[in-house]
Amino acid sequence: MPTIVSLPTVAGIGLRSPHVAQVSRDRPAIGWLEVHSENYFVDGGPALAALDAIRSDYPISLHGVGLSLGSADAIDTGHLARLKRLADRIAPAAISEHLCWGRIDGRHLNDLLPLPFTDEALALCCDRIDSVQSALQSTLLVENVSAYLRFTADAMTEWDFVAAVARRSGCKLLFDVNNIYVNAINHGFDPLAYLAAIPGDAVAEIHLAGFDATGPCLIDTHGARVAPPVWALYRAAIERFGPKPTLIEWDTDLPALEVLLDEARMAQTILEEADAVAA
Amino acid sequence: MPSLREAQRAFTAAALFGDTAAIAQIGIVAGALGAAARIAVYRNNVLGNYRKALAATYPVVRRLVGVPFFDAAIDAFVRAHPSTHGDVNGYGGELARFLAAYPPASALVYLSDVARLEWAVDQAGTAADAAPLDLGALAAVPVDAFGELRFVLHPSARIVVSPYPMLRIWQVNQPDFMGDDGVDLAEGGDSLLVWRTADGIAIERLAAGEHAFLAALARNARLTVAAERAAAAEASFDLPGVLKRRVAAQAIVAFRAPPAA
Repeated sequence: MPTIVSLPTVAGIGLRSPHVAQVSRDRPAIGWLEVHSENYFVDGGPALAALDAIRSDYPISLHGVGLSLGSADAIDTGHLARLKRLADRIAPAAISEHLCWGRIDGRHLNDLLPLPFTDEALALCCDRIDSVQSALQSTLLVENVSAYLRFTADAMTEWDFVAAVARRSGCKLLFDVNNIYVNAINHGFDPLAYLAAIPGDAVAEIHLAGFDATGPCLIDTHGARVAPPVWALYRAAIERFGPKPTLIEWDTDLPALEVLLDEARMAQTILEEADAVAA
Repeated sequence: MPSLREAQRAFTAAALFGDTAAIAQIGIVAGALGAAARIAVYRNNVLGNYRKALAATYPVVRRLVGVPFFDAAIDAFVRAHPSTHGDVNGYGGELARFLAAYPPASALVYLSDVARLEWAVDQAGTAADAAPLDLGALAAVPVDAFGELRFVLHPSARIVVSPYPMLRIWQVNQPDFMGDDGVDLAEGGDSLLVWRTADGIAIERLAAGEHAFLAALARNARLTVAAERAAAAEASFDLPGVLKRRVAAQAIVAFRAPPAA
């Protein structure tokens, strides 16, 4: 499997359309950028042209939200073909997707929905990841998701499931620290036990984001600054895994670009502290 | 224990369609919140995603009906028209057809046409790019061969026709519109050309002749045929003027000559 994961081990930010003009004009100092793959499943137009221009100055990570790796339906081959076309055009430093489902009986729900941690789901996900990696001729990074329910069918913990997916499929992990914190609070487990189960060499990228705590449980909104306990968990993750490319994600109530860059500087400081300790 | 497919089917029935009987078939650990409240979180997320995505595609429809009406219409639309794209940006093209038959909107006779215009605007933004027409190559075409040429519209170009004054409705509902926002429906209908230029999406009203001309080009007609249609629709149709103007505005971007004999 050719590996094209070539993200620099520094902080990056998610690039969303309201910030594209500013990034195109000012070229802010940031290590890399991540975009949602599906936003560029287009034939042409200014958004794709802007990405074409930006990618000459920044490594780009393509982060997908719609491939539905864990759906009982077969992989949507049209979706996969569009992802391949985009990857061929952009030459990304990484391609990632989510460990979830979002399609059944041909209907997409366009959301990141939770999987039961069963042998059936594990086998299905590994099979799908294998076919996606073959089609893309690239290692896929697979992200753990937030969940607001657990299934009575669960036969293993989330961390055993995630670790088994990486081990059996040969994919890399996009380790979302905020999602682990959200799940730890929502489902009552020790997030450090999760960290301890994940092999560091399988982790190729880390995500950080903010959650919403005003509802019946924590909701992963990507709509706030990274919360203090998530920063603490991130430090623990970097201590355990070593420095990893780290992304600040923000989707809801998007603030000024400077706020994202400020959050990225916090992550960068933690990465550099870990480097200093290791040196 | 349900199979993965059974669980995902039941999840969809419960989260999207509010089928409370399906909740038990999913096999949810109730915990302190309870299974129904957990499914409700997903219902809010899933429907919220669609409301947000379609609000971005259909801002004028949303403004015309108000947010609560729009959100209820989108919820009904999503249930009636399954998304067939993993990319939510590709979803929602059938909203115009849905609204035309949506009883709560029946008094707003023009609403469906507004949705059709907004979808054309949305799609124009992501259609393929095209280089401007090669004027040198056009100048090299012998005059007597001109009628056989098939002129090609920009890939983003769409013609939207309505018996209502669509352009006026669209303009007065733009966020930056100032002035009298009254619309007289008796003003009559519009034929509009929507296409993407270097400056963004353009919308222009077409006179009867130009409408017939561009609609014929869109159907891949020869210039002679398109010009005949235009003249039949409007006696004063100015072929050289229209051709020059539409090429300059990059609404017409290419031409194809018949294969050499």
